[in-house]
Amino acid sequence: MLTNYIKIAWRNLRRNRITTLINVVGLALGLCASFLIGLYIWDELSYDRYNVKASQIVRVTLFGSMQGGKINEPHVMPPTAATLVEDYPEVVQATRIRKAGTPVVRIGEKLFADDEMAAVDSNFFQVFTLPLLQGHASTVLNTPFSVVISKRLAAKYFGKENSIGKIIQIKGKANPFKITGVFEGIPSNSHFHFDLLTSMSAMQDAQSMSWMTSEYYTYLVLQQGYDYKKLEAKLPHTVDKYMGPQLQKSLGLTMAEFKGGGNSLVLKLQPLTDIHLRSNFTADIGTNGDIKYVYIFSAVGLFMLLIACINFMNLSTASASKRAKEVGIRKVLGATKEELVGQFLSESALLTFIAMVLASILAVMVLPLFNELSGKEMILDTNFLMAKMPLALLFGLFIGILAGGYPAFFLSSFNPVSILRGRFSTSTKSTGLRSGLVVVQFFISIALLAGTLVVYRQLEFIQNKKLGYEKERVIVLSDTWALGKNQEAFVQALLQDQSVANVSASGYVPAGASFNNNYMVYPDSHSTQLVKTIRYDVDYGYLSTLKMEMASGRYFSKDFGNDSVHVVINETAAHMIGWTSESALGHTISHTNNEGHKRVYTVIGVVKDFHFRSLHESISPLVMQLGGDPGYLIVKAQGDHIAALLSRIENNWNKFKPERPFSFSFLDDRYNATYQSERRTGQILGLFASLTVFVACLGLFGLATFTAEQRVKEIGVRRVLGASVTSVVLLLSRDFVKLVGVGAMLAIPVTWYVMSNWLSDFEYRIDLTPSIFIYSSLLSVLVALITISYQSIRAAIANPVKSLKSE
Amino acid sequence: MLLITNLQKIFATEEVETTALNGIDLTINDGEFVAIMGPSGCGKSTLLNIIGLLDNPSSGSYNFYGSDVEKMSERQRAQLRKGNVGFVFQSFNLIDELTVFENVELPLLYLKEPIKQRNEMVEATLKRMNMMHRRNHFPQQLSGGQQQRVAIARAVVAKPKLILADEPTGNLDSANGKDVMNLLQELNEEGTTIAMVTHSPYDASYAHRTVNLFDGKIVTENFHV
Repeated sequence: MLTNYIKIAWRNLRRNRITTLINVVGLALGLCASFLIGLYIWDELSYDRYNVKASQIVRVTLFGSMQGGKINEPHVMPPTAATLVEDYPEVVQATRIRKAGTPVVRIGEKLFADDEMAAVDSNFFQVFTLPLLQGHASTVLNTPFSVVISKRLAAKYFGKENSIGKIIQIKGKANPFKITGVFEGIPSNSHFHFDLLTSMSAMQDAQSMSWMTSEYYTYLVLQQGYDYKKLEAKLPHTVDKYMGPQLQKSLGLTMAEFKGGGNSLVLKLQPLTDIHLRSNFTADIGTNGDIKYVYIFSAVGLFMLLIACINFMNLSTASASKRAKEVGIRKVLGATKEELVGQFLSESALLTFIAMVLASILAVMVLPLFNELSGKEMILDTNFLMAKMPLALLFGLFIGILAGGYPAFFLSSFNPVSILRGRFSTSTKSTGLRSGLVVVQFFISIALLAGTLVVYRQLEFIQNKKLGYEKERVIVLSDTWALGKNQEAFVQALLQDQSVANVSASGYVPAGASFNNNYMVYPDSHSTQLVKTIRYDVDYGYLSTLKMEMASGRYFSKDFGNDSVHVVINETAAHMIGWTSESALGHTISHTNNEGHKRVYTVIGVVKDFHFRSLHESISPLVMQLGGDPGYLIVKAQGDHIAALLSRIENNWNKFKPERPFSFSFLDDRYNATYQSERRTGQILGLFASLTVFVACLGLFGLATFTAEQRVKEIGVRRVLGASVTSVVLLLSRDFVKLVGVGAMLAIPVTWYVMSNWLSDFEYRIDLTPSIFIYSSLLSVLVALITISYQSIRAAIANPVKSLKSE
Repeated sequence: MLLITNLQKIFATEEVETTALNGIDLTINDGEFVAIMGPSGCGKSTLLNIIGLLDNPSSGSYNFYGSDVEKMSERQRAQLRKGNVGFVFQSFNLIDELTVFENVELPLLYLKEPIKQRNEMVEATLKRMNMMHRRNHFPQQLSGGQQQRVAIARAVVAKPKLILADEPTGNLDSANGKDVMNLLQELNEEGTTIAMVTHSPYDASYAHRTVNLFDGKIVTENFHV
């Protein structure tokens, strides 16, 4: 019996080529999209779960507010780890990571760069499950100045030679480091990525007992099954106990006074497996994902499938008249309803299976493209495919039943008597349902289109936002410390170039990676009125290089001398303290460092607010002090010959034979890179939105074909009675356009809600204007019209005599 | 034996009620060949559908070879119909996607006959209908007469007691029509009961008895000798 079903299914699929093509293509696209999205979500959810102790590990984070400024940091004070192990038996182990950038490594005569380094506690490999190829997890980092490198780096440094025992020099470190171990490498689904791990045991700062700085990513291993919330509840006590005395010493404030001033500082715990998707820190140990995108893409994947399933349902029920005769005959010959349902279900299962095979091939083919789009490195190898095969087949069966279930019951419920007497007509009930499903399809398509449009509008807004500085034609030269004493000569050479407008030596770049100093200050003598600011170390040329503007007062100038006791603050800092731009001038701000030394600075100017953080965040207080950083040079170019200028700068650089290669970035590129995840979302959403529109239109095309066929007699009569081609085309198109319109009406509030939510992540954002919805609705109506017009026009211009004669 | 007593069939829609059959009393004996005649819309096909268990009467009783079927569900009727009733239609009603062989095989599939028997029965029937050489053709590749022969093959393959024919020659020319009527006569002579709806007095002359219907009632019955 089954062979008979499959045989007839196959012949039917071949006979109705257009319908089959629409169904298979639609389902294959839907399935392919859901495969890829499934893979993406699988990968996102797998972060850090490779750790055997994943469920026991939490990260200690710092939250609070100071003078209205929010503090949220994923790293905490140096003694936190040891203190928590000491004070709380439920903490089994604690380990710390301190990022150390990408230093230059010298091995013999060779120099290497660009590899991420971190200093870690000696128990690092006991906490995280990172297999060591050489060395022992419990001892590998025990000795001072030991370093463990990744397999990749071992190959890069020493080729096939054994790297254990080799000595490397790390730029900026007095002592040489000895390689004591090689590890496999950190999996891509880890929230941190390092290739060089040095022992913390010889690091002075790591032994610090200061509770006033917080640079250490700290991870705790808790007792198995212990609820971290219980420990979290005890942590305020720890902060009071250890931080209190130090606060008193450096600020002259008791903890109670500090809190009374509206300030707070709390340690919180974050499960390891939440870090990748549920973190929201300004800067973290690595680039994190966002659970919101997992939700958005899951929805998109489901929508794609749903739209393809709807196509199948609609086309099956619309073409029911073609199958009606067969149903009638089979019933007359003794087929029961169940047998017919079985037949139609096996037909849809067959179709889904074909679509699934196609989808799998397609998924493997487009995976590299999707990886590029999503910034992932996912692979679909045979092992993975074989392992997931049963799941995929089950999923295919489910989709087959989902898509084929309704049509199967619909078709098998026909009354054989009326069918065989030729009195078959599709009931209005099924037409109504079909219309409803078309509305659902276009609701989804328009919602996705409008969503995409919102994302792109926001990206455009980001692009064109007045930032308070000029990001165009600004070249940031990195690692200029390598020039050493020659930096001044290098800068002089730059300034003599016709294409260079200005140069500033500062590592404080308002876009992309930059130095970032938290700086606690208080105005005049009000030591309780602490304000958390960001300190920028700048030079005389900084303001003019970045074309920032002063709101009042003056910027640092060589003409005035002794500007080292002066500061320039931004408008937000002035307002937060309670000054206006004008009244701020002449006031002082004070800062007490960790050792308790106080310094007082006079405000000589207020710089207009500029966006030195991403537009996700509002502008915070900022203080500028003289003291350029030798690490970076910021070059403002003029004229159009930037490429030529760059090669001149490079030549110049090489003349001084610095230890590092010439490296640069454009400020606007750095700026754009900040919004990479938004840009990716836009691209992925755009791709899937176009695909859903395409698949929905495929279905619409199929439906229009059947409608034109069904109404062929009506059209003939109308034409004979004098109807014009235009009026017939309108007649046939009107109903479909109405459905698309209803879909649009439904899509507007949903998109409005979802996208307002997405936009709320940006402190600076576009308004949701009706035009976004009007454009996307009009676009879909237009596409729908074009889709159905082919069939409508064909039906309208056909010779009416032919259609009437066939009756 | 088929025993119909005071049978009524009313088709009701929301607006109108049509009485298709009104107080039919009819007995068809085993081995009989009955023709049902009458003008369009008189209820011939409705009666045939009820006899063939495709439809239920609105009231009255119908005894089908000893079973009272007037209250049976669709599933029960389908079960009883399988293997007991063969149908031949004016428009042949072959399934276009299936070959000649597969069309004839279909009733046996629903009877869940094992494959070996199935093949034997289908081949024997096709040989008898002179259609073996066309076994792998599709219906559209056949002439009208050939299609009707396949339809008859399908109707008789399961060796039913009763064959119901609804204007079996209506779409055929006279030569092919005569061919089909001869086939039906042969089957009847072998013991199969036949009930046939027809407009053609010539076709009706093959039957033992003609029942004339008018406005849902039997008006006359003629016996042929």
